[in-house]
Amino acid sequence: MTERATERRTILDELRLPGALRIEFQPIFRLDGDRRELYALEALTRGPRGTSMERPDVLFEYARRKGEETQIDLLCIAAALSEAGTLPGSPRISINIHASTLGSTPRFTSTLLANARSFGIGADRLMLEILEHRAGWADTTRTTLDELRGEGVLIALDDLGVGASNYHMLIDCRPDHLKIDRYIVAGCSRDRYRMAVLQSIVTLGRASNATPIAEGVEEVEDLDTLRAIGIDCVQGWLYARSMPASDLAFTPFLSPRQPPAAEITL
Amino acid sequence: MSRVSKRILIVDDEESILFAVKRYFTRMGFGVDCARELEEAEALVAHTAYNLVIADLSLSDSGSAEGLEIIRFVRRHCPAARVILLTAYGSPSVEKEALKRGADVFLHKPKPLAELATIVTQLTEGPRS
Repeated sequence: MTERATERRTILDELRLPGALRIEFQPIFRLDGDRRELYALEALTRGPRGTSMERPDVLFEYARRKGEETQIDLLCIAAALSEAGTLPGSPRISINIHASTLGSTPRFTSTLLANARSFGIGADRLMLEILEHRAGWADTTRTTLDELRGEGVLIALDDLGVGASNYHMLIDCRPDHLKIDRYIVAGCSRDRYRMAVLQSIVTLGRASNATPIAEGVEEVEDLDTLRAIGIDCVQGWLYARSMPASDLAFTPFLSPRQPPAAEITL
Repeated sequence: MSRVSKRILIVDDEESILFAVKRYFTRMGFGVDCARELEEAEALVAHTAYNLVIADLSLSDSGSAEGLEIIRFVRRHCPAARVILLTAYGSPSVEKEALKRGADVFLHKPKPLAELATIVTQLTEGPRS
């Protein structure tokens, strides 16, 4: 509208500023009888507070429309690792990534692992949650996934059962985990169709050696149903909301940071 | 439906205009989102059920016409939403094109907020025909 407009910072410019992307972590628990063990922390990205980019759905839709999804993905990963490096203990960190980013980023594996190491996070503490449909799949995506697996990084297929996260992606990704979307989980205790889908995912997981993780667990009745079906890895408000690293440090989920073995003296 | 449950998207590249219009309509009881780029507006429309979208015709320089793209996008993804297109550079051909693409109202700037509010109230109180 104005001549000045062309000189202004774009939203993309603002997202690239240090600290613009905020990271929160939501715990994923593994249940065993009455025991609850922290399995991983999913890193969730939020754009600048008070802007439309605070909503992750809008943030990634915007990035996709600008043709900058890969760049924003990589920025989110860098932000997640940097925040994860401040956490006490040695929790596994689960990070979302689009399949297209895996396939289109040269030396993705070595760069990711070097970046993680610089924050004291080894490959065995990383899990990548693969998003997106097969259209973002490139020949190099499978190679990158194999490299990551070879280094000990866990692979999860995100949002299973909704949108484009489908059997095709399951075959291509060969994941260690199947993350079941909240649409299927929420209300499963009183909906036989949701229950039937969950049972089929458990069967699929057993046959493909992939452990299901239920997202969006908010009701005790749903949790009971999930456990009865055989799903013991859960994530949702029933146990914990997402929170910044600074808040998470005060929860009972994390053990105090252990000093590296070389620093221990007897 | 109360006003507070009605959502408006305002699209303009002028931060000061967004600030003032958001404040005005929020006080009227609307839920208000703002966008200053075409792709930002599209991302919001793709994930939000708006009752009304108020868009400036040009979001970058005096020759651009992102507002027309926004009308088309809203019609495709949020067909029940009403659309107001505003411009300081309007011509009969642009107005004709905007209405053809599905804008409900075409307005010339400057437009006092009180007048805009009257139109917004009328548009959000009835279903789109």
